[in-house]
Amino acid sequence: MIRVGFLDNMQFRLALAVQVIGNMIYLVLMYFLWKAIFDSSPVDTINGMTFEDTMIYLVLASAILEFIEMWIVWGVGRDVQSGQIVVDLLRPVNYRTNMFFTCFGGTIVNLIATFIPTMIVVYFVAGRAYALSWNLLWFFISLILSILINYYINFFTATITFYTESVWGINVAREVVVGVLSGATIPLAFFPDAFRKVAEILPFQGICNSPLTLLLGDGMAPSEVISILGVQLFWVVALSVVSGLFFKVSVRRITVNGG
Amino acid sequence: MEPVIRLENLTKEFKVLNRHEGIKGAIGDLFSRDYKIVTAVNDVSLDIMPGEIIGYLGPNGAGKSTTIKMMSGVLEPTRGRVICNGMEPYRNRTQNAENIGVVFGQRSQLWWSLPAIESFRILRDIYQVSNADYQEMMDLYATMVDMESILHKPVRQMSLGQRTLCDILAAFLHNPSVVYLDEPTIGLDVAMKAKIRELILMLNEQKKTTVILTTHDMGDVDALCRRIVIIDKGSKLYDNDIEHLSELFGKYRTLSLVLTGKSDAGNTELISRRLADVKAVLEERWPSSDFFEVSVSDFSIEILIDEKKASLMNVISAIQDKMKIYDIHIEEISTESVIRKIYGGGI
Amino acid sequence: MENSKRGVKFYSKIYFKIIAQDIKSKLSYRADFFLSMLGMILINVSGAVGFWLIFQRFPEINGWTYHEMIFLYGFCLVSATPAQCLFDNNWVLRYAVYSGDFIKYCFRPINVFFYYISETFDLKGIWQFLFGLIAVIYAWNKLQIPLDAVNVLLFIIQSLSASLFAVAILNASAASCFWIENSFFILSLSSKLRDFAKYPVSIFSKPLRIILTFVVPIAFLAYYPCQSLLRPDAIPVLTWLTPVFGALFFVLSYKFWMTGAKRFNGTGS
Repeated sequence: MIRVGFLDNMQFRLALAVQVIGNMIYLVLMYFLWKAIFDSSPVDTINGMTFEDTMIYLVLASAILEFIEMWIVWGVGRDVQSGQIVVDLLRPVNYRTNMFFTCFGGTIVNLIATFIPTMIVVYFVAGRAYALSWNLLWFFISLILSILINYYINFFTATITFYTESVWGINVAREVVVGVLSGATIPLAFFPDAFRKVAEILPFQGICNSPLTLLLGDGMAPSEVISILGVQLFWVVALSVVSGLFFKVSVRRITVNGG
Repeated sequence: MEPVIRLENLTKEFKVLNRHEGIKGAIGDLFSRDYKIVTAVNDVSLDIMPGEIIGYLGPNGAGKSTTIKMMSGVLEPTRGRVICNGMEPYRNRTQNAENIGVVFGQRSQLWWSLPAIESFRILRDIYQVSNADYQEMMDLYATMVDMESILHKPVRQMSLGQRTLCDILAAFLHNPSVVYLDEPTIGLDVAMKAKIRELILMLNEQKKTTVILTTHDMGDVDALCRRIVIIDKGSKLYDNDIEHLSELFGKYRTLSLVLTGKSDAGNTELISRRLADVKAVLEERWPSSDFFEVSVSDFSIEILIDEKKASLMNVISAIQDKMKIYDIHIEEISTESVIRKIYGGGI
Repeated sequence: MENSKRGVKFYSKIYFKIIAQDIKSKLSYRADFFLSMLGMILINVSGAVGFWLIFQRFPEINGWTYHEMIFLYGFCLVSATPAQCLFDNNWVLRYAVYSGDFIKYCFRPINVFFYYISETFDLKGIWQFLFGLIAVIYAWNKLQIPLDAVNVLLFIIQSLSASLFAVAILNASAASCFWIENSFFILSLSSKLRDFAKYPVSIFSKPLRIILTFVVPIAFLAYYPCQSLLRPDAIPVLTWLTPVFGALFFVLSYKFWMTGAKRFNGTGS
């Protein structure tokens, strides 16, 4: 299911290029916005972050959200509306496993094709934005966990469509919640303390904030690394269990009601 | 009587880019002037009289849809012209649209989420049909079709048959002078097909609407059309009554022989052997003749005979000499076979 | 069937009938109705919260205060309403065009653009409108803009003009599908850009500002139209030209759309 030969396909490359350009435009606008914000501020550093720090963080965070984007909710939603879902659920292939591998493969390809180049560019443009040692390893482990967390959140949301047959509202709600609480629109460092403490224990920050903290932080104590990865791992397991249970219940409801 | 539609030397050419492979090719194509000209419709002339139901046939890619599009005003010809109800439809799209109805077999033209009756009401307003005329049509429909069961259903909840029915009713609602039906019975079961054909006949009779029917279904042709036009590779091949069609091919008849006993029914190996045997007999008696077409249909061997070249009785006796005949059927050549022959370049 | 002229009266009558039917049918999907409302509210709340968070730590952006930003934000939402509610069918235009289904819109004796666009009314846009209106009223209050007839009139005219721009951008982006395959990226890009209308265009460098004013005119979605109310002492020329440019862009986008539609001749033989 992971077809790397896909990269030869012109259409695919075009789609990728378009995604990248779209993201770049967004980043250009972000650049000006935050520049204006910092320019009007009396101090250079907010909560430990300078303008450069903020830009690097936002560029990488939005690049993460970009490659990690999965279209499950729309796909499943449409299948539910058309009734196709019943056919898929009755197939001998395990629905969840199938969905996971189809999704995962695409995400890894995206990771390699769009995110890695972005990382490299940021490194050189921003003058060695991050160290090149163990933090890279922690970063990639964290990124894998991020993918899993995002996947389960998406899958859970997709399962909700079994009940509502409506996609837009629930998907947008998910995007908004993830976008804000993952730190990708506004770095968590800028949240007021109370909000930040809450956001830090939720799974969403595990998508962007955790891996980026590991990447950009210099000289992190092993205990910090372990606690960050640990929280992510906890959420991976918790979300996997919750979304799995929810799915089982929902499938029973659908097959009983005949879709 | 004046024709309601006249095609005069109608021609449509498309410029198609010669596409190249690979990335370099794709980029090159962006600037390329390397076009080839595809002639979709080639010098077609035709007169259609009011009240006719005319079948417009041809293999896929023949240019049928392109011609229909020019007749209905959504496409401009390269050369020649169409005159429909006294005007060129592509020059006056909206005006022409007032007097035509269109039905696509697969794509409904009604509002998907609305009950059929609401669609009809909106169409009544769009075509500016008077309340009296509207009511008259609805009453007429009620005599032909069980309206109650479909009128208040949203189109998206209807079966294909009901949807097609409503599409046809919608097309005739404003009493147009011409209705274009594109594959109206496609995908329908036999009972529904019969119902739809009946409806079309009744509406044509009652309202004297000219009907242009494109179809691949010979059942439609046999049931509805008195006149057919066959088009292939953009050119008109045939334009006449259905009866004249068989004359084109002289006297052709189909001889159906059952050469295996009841106990051997389903023995495909035996049947193929019989097929070979029959071919051998015909070859022996009429060496290197190309006026037979031998095939298998269910459990019988079918031989299409050109009676100008070989007499039916001679064929039967030649075969009977060599094997036992259990059953015989003789049929006039079917419209389907003739058309297939025409598609195959038999003219 | 008299070939009578179909004027504004005719089109308005038909329009309301079609829209009423579409709304009726949409209301029958209860879950979707409430979830869409929820989604819309969430998006806008998060936008406002975003501003609030930024302004907790920063007093102003480029000379613009918190309440001015809220005003811009609300205004943006209000002017986005016609595009969102009435021209929503543009978002799925490419499906009809690529599959060939679009041809069915060409057989009725009415304007093709009207026929296509009138099919859908987006209910959730109403929540966006209400949210925007509340934001504008709140900011209006806090900024102590005088509440007189002139200002209210200015607001109405400018928001209508701005909405012409929003519709024009949507029309043009959607119509690209008549010429290009896989055209969705144009729509999605232009909608991303529209998000930036809520920021004052003065934060951008000059060349970018020119692009965002004359090429993809998001600067006219909120920034310029609002100047007459927010900075009445220093109203730029472009603000007065908003209605004129708005009408112009709208007409251009309509012509562009229709050109694409006319050249469409369906797939298949």
